[in-house]
Amino acid sequence: MKKALIIALLAVAAIPLLAAMASMPRFGSPEQPAYTHVASRYLQKGAEEAGADNVVTGVILNYRGFDTNGEVTVIFTACAATAAVLVTSGSRKKEKPGEATVPLSPVVGYVVRLLAPFIALFAFYVVLFGEVSPGGGFQGGTIFAALIIILSVVAGRNVAERVLPARVRPWLQIAGPLSFIAVGTLGAVLTGSYLGFPHARGLLATAMLMGIELGIGIGGATVFASIFWRLGDEP
Amino acid sequence: MIGALWSNFDYAVSVVLFLIGLYCVIAKNNLIKKFMGLNIMETSVFAFIVAIGVVDRGSAPIMGPGARGPFVNPIPQALILTGIVVAVSTTALALSLIVRVWHQCGTIEADELRELE
Amino acid sequence: MWWQWAHWLPLAVLVPLGFGVTTPAVAGGDGGRAWRWAVLGSALAAATTLALVVRVAREGPFSYAFGGWNPPYGIEFRFDEVGAFAFVVASLGMLAIVFSGRYAEHALDPARIPYFYTLLLLDIAGLIGFSVTGDLFNMYVFMEIISLSSYALVAVSGERTAEMAAFKYLVLGAVSSLLVLFGIGMVYGTTGTLNLADAARRLGGVGSAVPVAVAIALMAAGFMVKSALFPLHVWLPDAHAIAPSPVSAVLSGLVVKVGLLGTFRLYQVVYRTGIVDLAALDQLFLWLGAISIVMGAFFAIFQDDIKMMLAYSTISNIGYIVMGFGLASKFALIGAAVHIFNHAIIKSALFLAAGAIIHQTGYRRLSELRGAGRGMPLTAAALSVGAVSIVGIPPTAGFLCKWYIALGAFEAGRAAFGFALVFGALFIFVYYIRMVNAFYFQEPVHADVVHAGDPPLSMLVPVWVLAGLCLAMGLAGKIPLTFITPAISRLLAPIGG
Repeated sequence: MKKALIIALLAVAAIPLLAAMASMPRFGSPEQPAYTHVASRYLQKGAEEAGADNVVTGVILNYRGFDTNGEVTVIFTACAATAAVLVTSGSRKKEKPGEATVPLSPVVGYVVRLLAPFIALFAFYVVLFGEVSPGGGFQGGTIFAALIIILSVVAGRNVAERVLPARVRPWLQIAGPLSFIAVGTLGAVLTGSYLGFPHARGLLATAMLMGIELGIGIGGATVFASIFWRLGDEP
Repeated sequence: MIGALWSNFDYAVSVVLFLIGLYCVIAKNNLIKKFMGLNIMETSVFAFIVAIGVVDRGSAPIMGPGARGPFVNPIPQALILTGIVVAVSTTALALSLIVRVWHQCGTIEADELRELE
Repeated sequence: MWWQWAHWLPLAVLVPLGFGVTTPAVAGGDGGRAWRWAVLGSALAAATTLALVVRVAREGPFSYAFGGWNPPYGIEFRFDEVGAFAFVVASLGMLAIVFSGRYAEHALDPARIPYFYTLLLLDIAGLIGFSVTGDLFNMYVFMEIISLSSYALVAVSGERTAEMAAFKYLVLGAVSSLLVLFGIGMVYGTTGTLNLADAARRLGGVGSAVPVAVAIALMAAGFMVKSALFPLHVWLPDAHAIAPSPVSAVLSGLVVKVGLLGTFRLYQVVYRTGIVDLAALDQLFLWLGAISIVMGAFFAIFQDDIKMMLAYSTISNIGYIVMGFGLASKFALIGAAVHIFNHAIIKSALFLAAGAIIHQTGYRRLSELRGAGRGMPLTAAALSVGAVSIVGIPPTAGFLCKWYIALGAFEAGRAAFGFALVFGALFIFVYYIRMVNAFYFQEPVHADVVHAGDPPLSMLVPVWVLAGLCLAMGLAGKIPLTFITPAISRLLAPIGG
């Protein structure tokens, strides 16, 4: 009864939404305003102005760089938020040192150890080549975080935690916002506005973009791994 | 009207997904299922915004030698990358809250939790 | 002049953000060091936003283009008179953080204290960003920073009820954010821009009004959930009452205003385009506002828990502001905009004072707190000043803006709503009288309440600064009203003007 009522209400709500969708500019049309207004400039001049062949990267880091600054802050906020919700002064790790969380066949452990360096290499590739191909800091950071999570499941948390030492972890977690603030301030000194990049295609501009990408990658990976570990702690 | 809706089929699908997600949020009893409903809603909005960026026969907006237009709109892709990160962050926080509720109350069914209060 | 330096605007966001993210690393597990770092950060943020307010008062609105990209190609910060909310945010946030010093030591797990300050600072950074940004998607990003940190701050005490309240808040908050994002997507799809000013220009020429109308409806609905208007308020009382008191002050004074500021920005975009007739939306705001005023006050009367009562009174006060928006006449809008500021000050004063009392006595029910006026005279006096001002008795902050909203009701020819407002004020009067009565005139139930004594200075000073501001904003009530008027005049100026 209750469910039928909810469905009926949602069906009523669907009518104006679908009507709006029907009168949106036609899907896929090259004449739609979303394509002709701001985006057309990005597509025509983006590669030159923003200093990255991949225009999406150019939009993320340069044209709309401040959004990404907010986004890395959101990631760190999630990290601080899970800490504020989960951490207690009595919380401890669940497992004994060096032990896998689940019983495994030796094959799995062997394969993971064998693949780990290649996964790490791929993560760095994705971070650094985000400029000219699909990819970027977030994607690479996520891959690296996945590697750490696999390691903590297969080889035990102590092995995985050695990759991100607890002593520097609070600084690694904020690598994203910090690299943005550093590069943004440098941009403000050089060009007069926060997150400005000096004449695109220069070596300095590329170095600044790389710095941000690396910061996002390291910060993202550390945050995701920390959240994963914290969820596994015993309260 | 129907014809226009048919040509904007992708947008219409995201509306349907949005409402399915909303239904899960309202009607499901388990907190994790509620949150899965929220994730469906998130995905539907992302799909909608990415769909705005599609251009007929467009290719990825990566310039350089050999790149041939038309390219799809890069802005929605950039926005949704941000959106996804926000969704992941919300999910992480929601799951940690659910973990805590589970430890403290021993249940994550909304009606049983209401009785506990 | 010093206030003309362009970089104050991005700094207003980056200072609390930078201090916020570094807090856990700098503190290294030491709560005291985290507190000092956070106080420094919020004080610098307050100083920075003050420069912005000085500039907007002298020169009018100004903007800042990030990365040197002129709008609509890049992200723009635009600071207008309503953006002065950023200054209120920074200064109230600073007071709440100062207050938290002793409160957190006592109430929170030591391992969580650095993260508590991080989240408070990020909340402040998000709120400042939200009030100054001129870009729709950037607005969404800041909204999410605010939301995430607020959800966690509700649960930070680690009590079972707090975590459940936080989850409820999270689900409703996330749904409302998605409604807003859906609306933003539709605006982008029809206009091709995310810049607020550019969208306002281009909305006049869109092909079909239907998506725009639905987008406005979705965004308004999302913002209404965020600001807890009556039928959508279910998350608010629990979250605001159970959270630690300084957090309640920030949530109730500042975070619920996100929805109202968002609505105001939405108005700035669509008001003059003429593409959609906003009469229906105004009507809806008017009725929901009036119902919120009455129902919020009505529920508040029956609360024994002092913070629960304050939380319901927030719903009532949000009703005043939304009703002011719905009346859409000049006086009502001015009153509503100023009440956003004044309610922030008054409600923070009330929550911090209540928090100080709870901290000192350990009781939170009015029936247990009888005689608190004798036990802790200064704190109880501050609470009474806040109470008088939220009722809207003349020499205090609440009076002038409510008076303006009432005038606006008559100006718009909606006298009945003017009476709803007076009626609501009467209700509010009843429940604050109950509180004052319990503090000063009833026989104490618990002897320790009478001997509790006033809290340490780090708590008493913020409480009294806020109580003093309640009085000052009342005595100098003309200043905020004249300050905000240009923004409202621009909003209501005829099309093409």
